[in-house]
Amino acid sequence: MKAGNGIKVIVTMIGLDGHTTGGEVVSMILRDAGFEVVYLGVNQTPQMIIDAAIQEDVDVIGISSHASNYGQIEELVDLARANELDDMLIVVGGNIPREPAAQLLAKGVHKIFLPGASGAGIVEYLATEARSAKARAASSPAGKQGSLSA
Amino acid sequence: MKRETDYGYAIKPVYTPADIEGMDYAKDLGHPGAFPYTRGYHESGYRTRMWTQRMTAGLGSSVQANAVLKKYREMGQRGGMCVISDRVFSHCIDPDHPLGRKEAGVLGWPGCSLLEFEELMEGIPLTGQSITLLGSSAPTVMRLSYVVALARKRGIDPSEVHGSVMESPFENYFGQTDVQPFDLNLKLWLDASEYVVRNKIRMRSSVISQHFQESGGNNAQAVAVVLSMYKELCGKLVNERGLDFDDVAMVPYELVSIGTRFFEEIAKVRAMRRMWARIAKDEFRAKTEKACQMLIAVHTSGRTMTYQQPLNNIARCAIQSLAGAMVGCTAMDNATMDNAYAEPSALAARMSLNTQHIVAHETGVADVVDPLAGSYFVEALTNEVEQEATRILKKIDDMGGLIAAIDKGYIQEMLRDEANKKFLEMDRKERLIVGVNHLEIPPEEDFEIPIQKLHPGDSEAIADRMAQWKPTRDQDLLKERIQQLHTDAQKGDRFNLMPSIVEAVEAYATSGEVIGTIRKARGLSYDPFNMIESPFVLH
Repeated sequence: MKAGNGIKVIVTMIGLDGHTTGGEVVSMILRDAGFEVVYLGVNQTPQMIIDAAIQEDVDVIGISSHASNYGQIEELVDLARANELDDMLIVVGGNIPREPAAQLLAKGVHKIFLPGASGAGIVEYLATEARSAKARAASSPAGKQGSLSA
Repeated sequence: MKRETDYGYAIKPVYTPADIEGMDYAKDLGHPGAFPYTRGYHESGYRTRMWTQRMTAGLGSSVQANAVLKKYREMGQRGGMCVISDRVFSHCIDPDHPLGRKEAGVLGWPGCSLLEFEELMEGIPLTGQSITLLGSSAPTVMRLSYVVALARKRGIDPSEVHGSVMESPFENYFGQTDVQPFDLNLKLWLDASEYVVRNKIRMRSSVISQHFQESGGNNAQAVAVVLSMYKELCGKLVNERGLDFDDVAMVPYELVSIGTRFFEEIAKVRAMRRMWARIAKDEFRAKTEKACQMLIAVHTSGRTMTYQQPLNNIARCAIQSLAGAMVGCTAMDNATMDNAYAEPSALAARMSLNTQHIVAHETGVADVVDPLAGSYFVEALTNEVEQEATRILKKIDDMGGLIAAIDKGYIQEMLRDEANKKFLEMDRKERLIVGVNHLEIPPEEDFEIPIQKLHPGDSEAIADRMAQWKPTRDQDLLKERIQQLHTDAQKGDRFNLMPSIVEAVEAYATSGEVIGTIRKARGLSYDPFNMIESPFVLH
């Protein structure tokens, strides 16, 4: 069994961000590690991403971010809350300066992968955290999200 | 650690005459200024003309970008200016579009109307320096119209302005996407190119291998891809628009990415020049020497600018600038030490621009043309990258050209595989990057550089200004021009829309309105995101 078996992940860009390379590379790493990846691509609004997350019943939303449009990631977190997607992880990868990164974590993004993050590190984090979120959800119908860490 | 080029050629510990056996100086290199231009286009290199040293500007409002351009001029940037568009203008929607409102001015200049261009250029000359406006392909017609319209307003003949404001339709596939369909981008690019050729306007179009390479492509692929873009685009202008190849070849210029693998980068550009010269002569039957000379500008690689220990990027930028100078470029703009964080701060921009000035004035590299010619290693590398690029180019040709190769997914797959390979090489420490996978330090020990901050309210302010300004335009004139554009846009792909686009732009039609109207005439929705309707009643 591979690390990611049974875990479903959305990988997407947000807003008008057209930088696709990072998201595509991470999708490949996750697929190789057994995750089921739903790659949404470019031109996705926060609402479109949340709609897809509900429809596909994913465990993780991964935003590849290279366009400084952090406000829309915050909007996504709000929408996830409004839709009670409390057991779903929201992670972000990209070249995000320290200040907006801290702000996103405070807002409720679960993890930010900065440049230099290793493939193995991403796989391990998502596999572990998504599984414990699933376990929490199974034990308590009102299970809440995990702790924040940079 | 790998000791091979990024396209997989194993590098030997030493190179000797045996490695360039059979090389014919006159046939394969030629003197500088002589076919096949491996050594460049000027007999005395930078002594004749120094490369244009410039920095890319664009962030916040047009007024803010104007202040940055003026600052760059104070820093010694006089040969040319270079402005990059935000994601809103790149997509050809307007700042007051629901999506535009969130990102106007965030990643570049929000140049969605002639008003914005007038503000950008306030107090800055249109002539006497090259005007370069970067962005995606679709706004090509807008950027060109701005230059024509502002020149007319200032009483300047548009043919006196020079620079590059057009961009090839292929960039959409190379990690820098815009939302417009390829066939529309291609049609608009052909219209703009035909317009500059027929009106003798010295505006070039970037045909960029930089995006391809910054998205992960290797050196040989970059050479093959840029040549296939040249072939496809020049071929269409000759065959579909009835233009002369010798005129058409004056339209494209190549923006090449120069990374840190010094000798390989230099070999790449030398091979690129030689290959294009031969293609122009053999395949397109060029009559003039100019048509055999691929104009090459350098962008030092943003991809190599690391997030960790950003001061290290100053060293990388210097190495890359030196390589860029050695290849005999026409212009150079640098990635900056804060490239992995934000748009350049004034400090980072000055640092990068000064790096070029140091290379130009202190190293002596500008005194001698193509100083590495004759090096066994560099000539062998030039031959190797040419050989591999020729193999890939032949494959693309055999598929029927670049458009056909893209339709088959060949190029996208090539790029994806290569980007994965590059990541894995770094992940497995097969390629070392100081501060990233080698000699890392804890973040708290890292030196913090000043970062240009974004203010969320800025986008809203740009959007509100546009929403309030739109009704103040001469509505009758605007409607008349938009109607004319709509009528013309139904006359088929070969009908050149540039004259009616220029007229619409002179009536202050915005990019969302111009491209939206053309989209409607082609049976598409006015808004590519289907969130707003056309404000015009068109018939």
